[in-house]
Amino acid sequence: MIKNKQSLKKPFYLIVLIILLALLLCSVVLAVAIGSTDISASDIYQVILFKLLKIGDAQKFGSGVISDIIWFVRLPRIVLAIAVGMGLSVCGVVMQAIVKNPLADPYILGISSGASLGATLAVMLGIGAIFGSNFIGVTAFFGAFFVSLGVVMLANINGRASSMKLLLAGMAFSAVCSAFSNFIVYFAKDKDGIQTITYWLMGSLAGASWDSIVVILPFILLGTLFFWTQNRTLNLMLLGDETSITLGTNLHRWRQVYLLISSAMIGFIVYASGMIGFVGLVIPHTIRMLFGTDHKKLIPLTALVGAIFLIWADVLCRVVIEGTELPIGILTSMIGAPCFIYLMVKKRYGFGGGD
Amino acid sequence: MEVKTQEIWMELSGHQILKGIDIQMPTQKLIGIIGPNGSGKSTLLKCIYRVLKPTHGAVYLDNRKLSDYAYRESAQKMAVVAQHNYYNFDFSVIDVVLMGRSPHKKQMERNTIKDYQIVREALEKVGMSDFAQRSFSTLSGGEQQRVILARALAQQTPCLILDEPTNHLDIKYQLQLMDIIKKLNCTIIAAIHDLNIAMMYCDVIYVIKDGIVVADGKPEVILTKELIDQIYEVDVELIKDSNGNTHILYQPAHRAK
Repeated sequence: MIKNKQSLKKPFYLIVLIILLALLLCSVVLAVAIGSTDISASDIYQVILFKLLKIGDAQKFGSGVISDIIWFVRLPRIVLAIAVGMGLSVCGVVMQAIVKNPLADPYILGISSGASLGATLAVMLGIGAIFGSNFIGVTAFFGAFFVSLGVVMLANINGRASSMKLLLAGMAFSAVCSAFSNFIVYFAKDKDGIQTITYWLMGSLAGASWDSIVVILPFILLGTLFFWTQNRTLNLMLLGDETSITLGTNLHRWRQVYLLISSAMIGFIVYASGMIGFVGLVIPHTIRMLFGTDHKKLIPLTALVGAIFLIWADVLCRVVIEGTELPIGILTSMIGAPCFIYLMVKKRYGFGGGD
Repeated sequence: MEVKTQEIWMELSGHQILKGIDIQMPTQKLIGIIGPNGSGKSTLLKCIYRVLKPTHGAVYLDNRKLSDYAYRESAQKMAVVAQHNYYNFDFSVIDVVLMGRSPHKKQMERNTIKDYQIVREALEKVGMSDFAQRSFSTLSGGEQQRVILARALAQQTPCLILDEPTNHLDIKYQLQLMDIIKKLNCTIIAAIHDLNIAMMYCDVIYVIKDGIVVADGKPEVILTKELIDQIYEVDVELIKDSNGNTHILYQPAHRAK
């Protein structure tokens, strides 16, 4: 009986995966079409075909206004949305496993406050200006990455880093970093600077360009694939260190490896888009509620749903208020939180607690 | 499988918990470890199943030092039913039991039909087949304990370690669980609270107090009125029932004549 149920269940999850993949492709085309200039679907895929494979009419699709809007304005944002949405959701899943806490999100281990300290230093004190036009992103990347390294090191002092020690170290670093950020902001008395930081902290995909995407997208995809292959160890992480040892895996080393890889992924995301909250918490939980906790299903499903979610969140940001753009971080929380509350109320979901 | 501890000393935050435990576990037997709270039973088991590293001495599996085994190898040799099994995340019962197969799997290897079959048999053995799709966190403590036993059985190891396995179970399932493990064809090491359970099921018991082994042997031989008084400071009466089984009756102090 169990076997029958299993063999029924497996194709179901694969079918969902294929449907999501199709949805993702449709979303890309639709999202390119929506905006202040109307563009037809046939133009879109012909331009994409030409740019990627040099098939079709060079005169019509290689250059010109329509081609430029598609290829240089809208498409980079959408591809970046895919990378960021995927990365945030997958890192959310991984972070929750690393700290063994369902309330963790990708920014939990001090990464967010490290990034904002970096951004504050860049905006207020001009640190990192040599890194070029997106120097705020670069210093934020370094802020995020070094803080997560610091957290791992601090958690490893006096014995091995347990999930609890990692959480505490993350909180300690967060407190220190935000104190310094506030200190700088308070004494700089720079109104424009404060607004720049605020805007940056709310996140935006407007800065998307192919130059950064060719680095970020492959990295996020490889990271996602890597974590997909690690589904057994990720499952074991939720059972804790002691049980894992009796089941043949010492988690200590893996936890560090996963932490470094996801910190680098989040660092890249912060560099390209600032801070986009809630995606990394809500998407993993939504998938857990619907498909269970097994990471073999969880990783690919969250990756695709996260990507689709962020594409549409970004489209809404562009069109919801005419003539201006809403920071995407605000919107993800505005849409994400009510959806999450709805799911929590609708389906009994005790965050795993038996009570 | 042969399990041996050689002069195990264990210090935890300044306290000497184990003071030189030397045990050669008989193979293919049900071995009970008994002793009062804080005597070091759990600590000894944790040293054996590798969660703690003894400060001195070593554990040997089949005459090879435990620390020389890869974690995967030692998990193929022994399975564990530990005391606390509370998880923050919600797994289905079958997912939990399937994890018992992980020591036999490489990172990217898929679960085969055979794995599912082993899992199904394990669930059947503990009488939890109908619960396969239920979520683990909605089960009662006793049901969870049986699922964890099923996971250990799915590991298919020559040695099984249990830390107070009958803890949350009502009497029916205490006896059922002990009957299941009694029938297993492997070396079983169990810390046991209930002296009557130890008396009924164990082939050999080791009595631990203050980190040393104070007595060992067949339960009906060594579980005497004098020993129990010395170890637990409780007055008991031993009686034989019509089937020839010995039972331990406790005499609480306030009822003493």
